[in-house]
Amino acid sequence: MSAPSPILLDCGTGYAKIFNLEDSTRAIVPARRFIKKLSEYDIKASTGHNLSSGAGVRVNELVALAEGSLSMVDEPDFTVLDCGARDVKYVQIRNRRVAGMDWNTECGAFAGQVVELLTRYLDIEPENLPSDAPRIPVVCGVLGMTSMFDMISKGKSHEEALAGFLRGVAFNCETLVGRPDRLYLSGGLCDNKAFVSAFTRETIPLGRFVLIEGLRKIYSEKII
Amino acid sequence: MQERVENGALIFDLDEPLAGRPVKDIYLPNAYCSILKRVVSNIFSLREDGGLDLVIATVGKCKCDGMRNIASWLERTTDIPILKVENDNAKGAGFPISRSGLPLLKKMELIVNSVFAPLPDGLTLEECAPKCGFWGVPPYDFGILELFPDETHIFGWTRCMENKTPADIEMECEVASGVPTVFFTQSFCQKSAFAYNLAREHGGLYVEVDKMMSHSTRAKIEAFLEFNLGWRGKR
Repeated sequence: MSAPSPILLDCGTGYAKIFNLEDSTRAIVPARRFIKKLSEYDIKASTGHNLSSGAGVRVNELVALAEGSLSMVDEPDFTVLDCGARDVKYVQIRNRRVAGMDWNTECGAFAGQVVELLTRYLDIEPENLPSDAPRIPVVCGVLGMTSMFDMISKGKSHEEALAGFLRGVAFNCETLVGRPDRLYLSGGLCDNKAFVSAFTRETIPLGRFVLIEGLRKIYSEKII
Repeated sequence: MQERVENGALIFDLDEPLAGRPVKDIYLPNAYCSILKRVVSNIFSLREDGGLDLVIATVGKCKCDGMRNIASWLERTTDIPILKVENDNAKGAGFPISRSGLPLLKKMELIVNSVFAPLPDGLTLEECAPKCGFWGVPPYDFGILELFPDETHIFGWTRCMENKTPADIEMECEVASGVPTVFFTQSFCQKSAFAYNLAREHGGLYVEVDKMMSHSTRAKIEAFLEFNLGWRGKR
């Protein structure tokens, strides 16, 4: 049996993002599958919801997000929003230091798993959504979905209703971060073009490895 | 009431968990303050045992709108004896516990227990400079308090409670300028409007919890303390 691979790990609710320290490769696997194969890995540092023990040095998700975004964005002032499966969180950077932060901790309405579940349930490709759908108010995930299915029952297309729901989620995210002119996006929803285009301001996806980049910085500088 | 106590009646703080009486979440809407759900559950639980003589319901500015509505509901539709009271005391008794260097959890327990019991003999309360602030009501889940450094001062309604002036809105809005403060509220509490906007005004952290603190809430508070104080918990 080969020795466990040394890795850095961002184990979120939906997916595990892995950086292999031996060969510098990256991987994304469903969290439920990763957790069953823990013995194959030597976790040097980790962040994320889904690993509470046996995970090397633990780094707070917002700290990893701040460090990762600082290593990927050169601007002195910016805001980065991480849209995870279960919740969303952001840090606001001023003069290259963390000046603000928040985390939507209770309601999944903001988050990726609701978008993923709906997209799968309706069997719609996010690329095929209309760009001019009216926003549905998403007070919470359940109420938002109720409004969405009401729209469908009143004759709107499934695509238009889903696009309206995504705009509602994006609106909530913009409210959370304080509506900056430009917004950097982190997490799985970076790959969802319909979601990214649902924002009403310049939105720049940084991809799914921002927290991993934060872990790399922290690990390489041994500041943990 | 004094006569009842002298005759052996017991007084229970209905806000607090009562041993052997789990909260039955069947009396109020789902989306409702978990503290008040506990209050109502305790009332019905004590009544089922035949051990309830009187509910003293605080319904003024000293409490919250929720209890006023609940007291009216109980009065109208049950035979539970309700005594509505208001505490508009304006004479402050001081708040040394809130400003002491005791662990935050201990501070909260002392304040909550001070409703019925005098402070323990020999307790010394030395004031410390605040590193951090905790604003709000006593939480349903006291576990949240263990995340903070000992030099955390208590603000908001809990400080008013210690001061014996629970209707003092001015005091409730006071915080220490420049001190990183967590503004805590129970979910579905009317005081969340205060917490939300005070957090914005003072650059603090708004935290809303229903019953038990989630992983995300824990991590959010830990990050706030780490960013502002370099504090990484009592490890």
